[in-house]
Amino acid sequence: MKERDEKLSYLLDDYADENTPGDLDEVIGDVNLQYRMRRYQMIGEVMRHELPPVIDTGFHAAVMARVAQEVGAAQERKPRAAFDSPAPTPLLSRGIFKPLAGLAVAASVAIVTVALWQPQNQDAGRPDAGLVAADQLKIQQLAEQKIAGSAVPVSTRVPTPGTRWKIDKESPALQQKLNAYLVNHTEYSNSVQGLIPQARVAGFDAQQ
Amino acid sequence: MGTNLPDAELVKRVQAGDSGAFDILVQKYQHKVINLVGRFVSDQAECQDIAQDAFVKAFRAIDKFRGDSQFYTWLYRIAANTAKNHLASRARKSPGYTVDVDDAEHFEGESGLKEYANPENLLLTEEIRATVFSAIENLPEDLKSAITLREIDGLSYEEIAEVMGCPIGTVRSRIFRARDVIDKELRPLLE
Repeated sequence: MKERDEKLSYLLDDYADENTPGDLDEVIGDVNLQYRMRRYQMIGEVMRHELPPVIDTGFHAAVMARVAQEVGAAQERKPRAAFDSPAPTPLLSRGIFKPLAGLAVAASVAIVTVALWQPQNQDAGRPDAGLVAADQLKIQQLAEQKIAGSAVPVSTRVPTPGTRWKIDKESPALQQKLNAYLVNHTEYSNSVQGLIPQARVAGFDAQQ
Repeated sequence: MGTNLPDAELVKRVQAGDSGAFDILVQKYQHKVINLVGRFVSDQAECQDIAQDAFVKAFRAIDKFRGDSQFYTWLYRIAANTAKNHLASRARKSPGYTVDVDDAEHFEGESGLKEYANPENLLLTEEIRATVFSAIENLPEDLKSAITLREIDGLSYEEIAEVMGCPIGTVRSRIFRARDVIDKELRPLLE
């Protein structure tokens, strides 16, 4: 025991010999030896008037708690870094194919950009030619459809007392004209205005 | 003085991942670092915080310590820089008062009793001083001379042996016995 304490005193004075690593192991592993070392240290500090005005007995514990946090954080970072780091890529794919991959990405982006840009700038508001032709035909057919019986006037306004008037919505000729009108406007208009006549008619029907 | 080989060995262990070795270095140098920081910052609570920061910074940077200087010299630089940086940042934060680094030693900043600077700790510190000086007074002359030449005059074992006219082994033994006697008085205070 005395010999061990004498070794501690010797170590504290920064002397070392071949047994020093083993002696240090002993100090690191023995709290009582550490307390003794601190007291030996304190004796010298008092003698040299180097003792702080107030001793904080928990100072080294506070430092070591922070160090433990550092160590813990570092250990957490290590596996995460290993997980996050990409798998090592072969030299060939890294060195030679890198420019090609860059070119491929650039080309893809260019194609997508051109494809998106064209309809917005060139064909904006212009209906497809095929659809226009089909619609024209449909409208023509509807407009020229003959109704059995006598010709029906376009306006079927019925005089009624007062200022209000009625439309004979049962009239097939009027229905056909109205349909053609609606189809024409709905298909040709890209704007909200194209929907307005339909909305008006729907409103009118509801009122009737 | 010694060769600081134990410090070098402890540093090597810390670099290898043994934080227990760093604990020994903290215990060994805590009061020296606190005293050094105390030359820049007079407030004792701040002083303790800065000293803690300095040790943590030293731990973070210990892989960069190559042993070109002694560990304490390196630690001393870190502690001094930490204290200076603290003063600079405090001056930026509170325009109410500024402290030049050169004037820090004489600066009487905000003071006040914080957790650690409680009456019990103040009393304990005073008791430690009184006990140590009293124990030294009561030491036999050969032990008193050996410990005084070592701790106050900073002589090496070889130099003390020459002064006292005895073998180095005897010096080593006398210094230890002096410490052991004083420790017997000191121990009850710190338990």
